[in-house]
Amino acid sequence: MQTPAHAGRLITPAMVGVALVLLTVPLWIAKVGLYQYIGVEILIWAIYALGFNLLLGTAGLPSFGHGAFFGIGAYAFGLTQFHVAANLWVCLLGGILAASLAGALVAGFVARRRGIYFAFLTIAFGQVFWFIAMKARNVTGGEDGLLPIARLPADFGIVSFDLTGNTALYFFVLALFLVTVVALWRLTYSPFGRVLSAIRQSELRAAHLGYQVVLFKMLAFIASAAFAGLAGSLFAMAQGGAFPEVMALHYSGYIVMMVLVGGGLVSFWGPVIGVVVFLLARDLLGAVTLTWMLWFGLLFVAVILFKPEGIAGVFQDLRRRFSRQPAQAQPAARSTP
Amino acid sequence: MTDRITRRGLVKGGTMLAGAAAGFGTIYGPWKHNRAYAQEGKPIKIGLTCDASGMYGASGRDELRGITMCIDEFNANGGVLGRKIEWITADTETNPATASRVAERFITREDCSILIGAIHSGVANAITQVAEKYGTIYLNSNSSAPTEAGENCSRVKFVWDGNGTNFTMSSVKAAVERVGKKWLLLTNDYVWGHETSDATRKLVEEAGGEIIDNLLIPQNTRDFTSYLLNIQQMAPEVVAPAVGGDDGKILRAQVAELGLDKQAAWVQSQQDWPDVWAAPDSIIGIFGTNWYHKLKLPGVDDFVKRWQARADADAIPVPGNVSYCGYMAMRETLRAIERVGTTNNIAIIKELEQLKIPAADRMQDYDAWMNPDTHHLQQTIYLARRNPNPVDDTDLYEIISASKPEDVVDPEEGKLCKLAPYEQIPTVDG
Amino acid sequence: MFTLIPFLINGLTLGLLFALIALGFMLIVGVMEQINLAHGSLFALGAYVAYALLGPPLPLPVGVGEWWAGLPLGLRYVLALVIAPCIVGLLGILIEQGMRRTYGKDPLFGLLLTFGAAMVIEDVIRSVWGTRDYILPTPDAISGGFIALNLIWSTYRFFAAFAAAVFILLTWLLIERTRFGAVIKAGAHDSEMVRALGYDLAKLRIAVFAIGTMLAAAAGVIMAPIWGIRPHMGVDAVIPAFLIIVLGGVGSFWGAVIAGLMVGMVIGLTAAYASEWSLLSMYILLIVVVTFRSRGLFGKKSILEA
Repeated sequence: MQTPAHAGRLITPAMVGVALVLLTVPLWIAKVGLYQYIGVEILIWAIYALGFNLLLGTAGLPSFGHGAFFGIGAYAFGLTQFHVAANLWVCLLGGILAASLAGALVAGFVARRRGIYFAFLTIAFGQVFWFIAMKARNVTGGEDGLLPIARLPADFGIVSFDLTGNTALYFFVLALFLVTVVALWRLTYSPFGRVLSAIRQSELRAAHLGYQVVLFKMLAFIASAAFAGLAGSLFAMAQGGAFPEVMALHYSGYIVMMVLVGGGLVSFWGPVIGVVVFLLARDLLGAVTLTWMLWFGLLFVAVILFKPEGIAGVFQDLRRRFSRQPAQAQPAARSTP
Repeated sequence: MTDRITRRGLVKGGTMLAGAAAGFGTIYGPWKHNRAYAQEGKPIKIGLTCDASGMYGASGRDELRGITMCIDEFNANGGVLGRKIEWITADTETNPATASRVAERFITREDCSILIGAIHSGVANAITQVAEKYGTIYLNSNSSAPTEAGENCSRVKFVWDGNGTNFTMSSVKAAVERVGKKWLLLTNDYVWGHETSDATRKLVEEAGGEIIDNLLIPQNTRDFTSYLLNIQQMAPEVVAPAVGGDDGKILRAQVAELGLDKQAAWVQSQQDWPDVWAAPDSIIGIFGTNWYHKLKLPGVDDFVKRWQARADADAIPVPGNVSYCGYMAMRETLRAIERVGTTNNIAIIKELEQLKIPAADRMQDYDAWMNPDTHHLQQTIYLARRNPNPVDDTDLYEIISASKPEDVVDPEEGKLCKLAPYEQIPTVDG
Repeated sequence: MFTLIPFLINGLTLGLLFALIALGFMLIVGVMEQINLAHGSLFALGAYVAYALLGPPLPLPVGVGEWWAGLPLGLRYVLALVIAPCIVGLLGILIEQGMRRTYGKDPLFGLLLTFGAAMVIEDVIRSVWGTRDYILPTPDAISGGFIALNLIWSTYRFFAAFAAAVFILLTWLLIERTRFGAVIKAGAHDSEMVRALGYDLAKLRIAVFAIGTMLAAAAGVIMAPIWGIRPHMGVDAVIPAFLIIVLGGVGSFWGAVIAGLMVGMVIGLTAAYASEWSLLSMYILLIVVVTFRSRGLFGKKSILEA
């Protein structure tokens, strides 16, 4: 990923722009033929995808079992609600903590692996967690899901917001999405993120430079699992339940697809673009054809073949073509310290 | 469980939405919580939440055929209340997560006032969660888990298929008396499987039989050889599998291939026609159904002809129980709307709760009625086995008995089901 | 009387079948260092093509369908075992044409490309054959059951295990005992050298990919009567194939065969004691082995690690 302008800032102009656009979404989403719930779902998956891209785009570690952490977040949110306290903050914390712990466990096994072996092992762990979610009926409700998970009110002491409506939930998720964006931006362009980039380019070189490569890989894995857990918690709240299907291999593959189609390898915002395209394609094509996967699959194949940098890569090319500065004059991609 | 949020609370909270949204300024969705678009001539819109892929993809397609056939017939006769009926469908993928989103879309974006369709109990549960939030009526046409009209019942949901307990009640007693007392259970490891097996166990023990073991089978098991080896070693007299969908098809094929059905009697709770049609040679033992296309009852032949006239190339040549349930659920609901003269959800719910369907109209042997306390349709349950003397390619069943609905009432259902009062249901008028 | 022998025999046959499923996958991974995630979908497609050949007569012109349906089932079965892989092999060549754009890049791109191809193939299957199940008819000689040790055994299962052993042996002969095999192995390690010796590397890769996909299809035909034919049967095949390759070690032929047998045994034995957990056992086996041996049982260093 190239280092963009404003990398050092806490809040960039792009963030402000995105926030402003997203704030107006509930005003016009119905007018363009969509509905509030799809907005909620897009933001949730965007949180998931941004966190995932810390691992895939920044550190170059392809996890094919990340659905497990998303699912664990969802179940933990529900279980905290049923057994600990029906308080939104406690439940969200429960979801994030459970996913981080599971992430730490898996990271302990996979952090020493690279490339395809890393991918293989994450698949195996993903399958194990998915299998457990389906089998542990007493805890998770098995195939039928964990029901009914309530949309708890966001209680700030002085004021409390009811989140049962999709519009209210949208704004709540949007707030968390923006927090995620700022946090991940800082993380990606911090010294920590630069080490991850160095690991992506050459693990050996990073090790020779004296970095504890395994430790950094573990931390990246845990961080991205934590964001998946947050997204999973919100998903459980949006759906009113937690189900094992989102932990299956298919769904873990979808998140990789979303991030790559959007251009997560070259752009911080790539994952968000990918999520929007994937979920809208699924919703709009799914309403007119039962073979929407065929068309999305073909699009995905085309992206891999002709534009592996994804949609964000196309935008960057266009910008380069129309801007007076040639690409070389921009801050060089210097990720290694 | 100290602070568990109840579903009632959820519904109640829903009605406070307007106040909450005010907290965010004037931004507010296109729909109000108490939605009313009833206008003369405006079409009535129905959302068909049928699986097109996943474990129940084939059954979902068959269900869709029955539902759309019913809608077409009403439209040909001028619709309902003088209004045309429109429908929309999307693949729910036998996946509860997808089903939630589809249900949200159908209700909030497509303005559907009724949702119909589900085979898998998880999918049905997910749709019910969404439908209940908005007060939208949901017709569970084909999911036969006993929880559907038991602890997971809902004021907005009606269950149209016989449930696992109904089917086992009609078959177990006969099998204990006539076949043998040593029983083995094979259970698909999800709620429907467990509930069906629990019900069987109780009935077997009541009838004086004994369960020698219960083998659990994970979903998506492709190879049953190890289970079958277990069964051979235990040598039960009767085997009662509760294994559904694709898993059940493969199991039956493997049992039939090995000739294990000759070693023990296989009692099955319910066979769905699309599953049976895919592998007619694997019909084993005796099993339940609530309809068959060669029942010697008035109207059946005509129904089959009408169904065949509009069947697509991918369809099974004749309608089966899944298509039938979809058709009946849709027809009775549309008729109820016609009778009450409004599309107000509470009015329709109250009308359906009083539903009585004469046997002739229902194309079954006995009258059917809706249980107002559980929203479960009580109906005739048939026992069938492989037809030794078929009259044509489709004549796979021999119907060996028909149980009256009152003889197979699920005793647990009424105890577990608590329906929310009408006041707590948001009103919908589509 | 409870005895373990049937479970061991079951595990052994299952292991051979798993090794068969992994065979084509292994060839492509081992020789070309490319992950073919479409393996499962090609496996499924093989089964569907076989069904088209063995099931109800096809609507072919001027009586061809009837003539074909008139042939004895045994002959048709053997022919299907040849024709289905050939048809699927053509598709494999097409996929290779796309895949070659990713050579020299991160192997992740080849993996993702074939993941997309898998989605497309699965949906094409769904639109051509629908969502319903099919059962592949088998000749009488290899169907039904027989009694041994007071238990009923499935004849087809033993036939399938035997066929698996034959395919494993043939693949081994091809790689280790033919000139073609020697060249493709050399190509995997040193493409410059192979080119210098006058071989067309592009053609070699097409050949390997075609053979790999044909093996996938052949496995699909053989497994179809046991698993049934459904659009998503590919996933049931590609995950164990994947797992077996990692367990055995990338690039090791016998590693994959042994891993297949191990997985079969583990599933067979756990089924005897805790049936419902048997499918989980293979993942745990993988995690344990790879934790202690990072390249699997017999793996060599490979560019896939980079």
